[in-house]
Amino acid sequence: MENEAFWGSNWLSAIAKPPPAMSFASDDHLPPCALNLNWKQLLRHDVDLESELSSLVSSPSCHPAASADGGVVGGVIGRLGTICNSGEISVGSRLHSASSSCYSTPLNSPPKRNLSVPDYLVQGRRGFPGSVNPSPGGHFMPLPTDPWLAEDAARLSRGGGMSSSGFPGKLGLPETPGKLSRASSSKSLTGSRMVVPENGNEPWVLGAALMEMEMRSRVGGSLTPEQSEPGNGREESSIEEASSLRGTSDSNARKRKASAGKGKGKEGPLPYSATHPPNMTNENSVAKRCKTSETNAMMKTEQDGDIGRKPRKDDNKLLEPPKDYIHVRARRGQATDAHSLAERVRREKIGKRMKFLQDLVPGCNKVTGKAVMLDEIINYVQSLQRQVEFLSMKLSTLSPQLHNMENLFPKEMYQGQGTMPQPVYPAEMASAAYPYSHQPQASPPLQSIVTSGLESQLAPLYGLSDAPSQVGDFWEDDLQSVAQIGFRQH
Amino acid sequence: MDTDGKADAGLLERSRRIKTAAELGLARSSRGRHWSRALLLRRRLLISKEETTTTTRAAVEVEKLGVEDEPEEKMLQARVRTLQRLVPGGEEIMEAERLFEETADYIEALQEQVSAMRALACLLHGFQRTRGGS
Repeated sequence: MENEAFWGSNWLSAIAKPPPAMSFASDDHLPPCALNLNWKQLLRHDVDLESELSSLVSSPSCHPAASADGGVVGGVIGRLGTICNSGEISVGSRLHSASSSCYSTPLNSPPKRNLSVPDYLVQGRRGFPGSVNPSPGGHFMPLPTDPWLAEDAARLSRGGGMSSSGFPGKLGLPETPGKLSRASSSKSLTGSRMVVPENGNEPWVLGAALMEMEMRSRVGGSLTPEQSEPGNGREESSIEEASSLRGTSDSNARKRKASAGKGKGKEGPLPYSATHPPNMTNENSVAKRCKTSETNAMMKTEQDGDIGRKPRKDDNKLLEPPKDYIHVRARRGQATDAHSLAERVRREKIGKRMKFLQDLVPGCNKVTGKAVMLDEIINYVQSLQRQVEFLSMKLSTLSPQLHNMENLFPKEMYQGQGTMPQPVYPAEMASAAYPYSHQPQASPPLQSIVTSGLESQLAPLYGLSDAPSQVGDFWEDDLQSVAQIGFRQH
Repeated sequence: MDTDGKADAGLLERSRRIKTAAELGLARSSRGRHWSRALLLRRRLLISKEETTTTTRAAVEVEKLGVEDEPEEKMLQARVRTLQRLVPGGEEIMEAERLFEETADYIEALQEQVSAMRALACLLHGFQRTRGGS
């Protein structure tokens, strides 16, 4: 109704303070959303590429998580990696930006095997089901014509909007998978907000993979596991199949694969057990990872962030895979059994939430200690509730003219599903109207008067200062004005 | 006027409560949060619900907890319980992290609601002043 619209627009203009970014009510969810978009866009290109492949290759770990397409892609890519052997694994890992970097580190895979991956991908893209053999570990046809590679890489680069501007140029070379992996990796890097310049083939691949890994761990902290995991999961599962693991990185990749494969969105439990590689040469961290993935179904970004910072010193030499949300690296001098790790993860999560609450509650920054902060939070919530109570009482006295609102907004009271830009305001209208529904008195059509009054009154409003005293003053005035208004209306 | 007659404490109390409940319900339903669902349930079940005394002290909670591990832990637990009571539907939330999540969202919703109500009150007050004055 026009009145409704009037109110809405008025409130929008009137309310000085814009609605808080409720979206970051859980910063876990929202800020990553932007990243999520990037991630998904990134993966989408892969999806195009891999869609046909996915049909060919059954990715069992594809879970219908939020980023289902990404997951599928990841899974497919993972399969590609496995199918193409260890060589492919490196490529595949590059393809999927997520955790794959670790795999790619020991890129000792002979070029020829890498070639098969692009071939596979190319074929997939072109929809050559027949040529693709979904059997894992199978070698595929030799690298197809370079144009395909170039095309693929160019496509990936374009899709990813990557920094690899020079990439297409390189495609012309009879390179190998290095290019493709570069494209994919750069794409993934772009997705992860990283750009890795492309240099040579193998050495670059190694370097890129390393950097990707590092970035991943860093980015992982900021990214929600949502985005990274599905991709990681997929590729991990696929990589897992690849039996030829080269050293710890491979094993790590496999582990991550296994865990990620089963990841369901943010909190999918990761089945490490399935792919627990024999070569647990890595120290306790690897073992932890396996266990933690099983125990910590809900590892979140804080782990990533935390771990992302940590592994740098530990991992560089080992080229440890970046920490997915399921990977929790044991800190030095800390217990490393699954329980303590899970406990630590849980504590970190709680700590993160407490920090968020600290930001939300004014004046909490100086407070240290959980108990005191909790006290502050409790006080704040209580004070807010009291304020609402008080304001509603005040509004009830102020609003005999809102009788008509009852007719206008009856449904808002009951639905209020998030389509309203300012849900609170209609709520107030509705709530104001609601009490009157119980009143037998007739509601004079005060609409016109109210709207006109509001129009005239909009300007001075918003000194929305916390001034209970002001409200107190209003109280008496309102009681008087209510009578006056009532007289006016009738 | 009827409005005059209605402007008494009882009506105010009731209308205020209903208003509160409705507003909260709207504020929350836009997000689908746990506390919002709990609030809606609460509102539906009890249209004019009595305002729960939100003055639960942590000390009370501590007593309820009895002798637990360390006093520090007890204090924390007491506070967590208090928070659980404050946040609608909090009592059903078992994990601390979930509780904090809901608390953060609830706080944000409350803040929005308070600001909106304050603006509305100012507006109406100004309106009434004008009307009354003129």
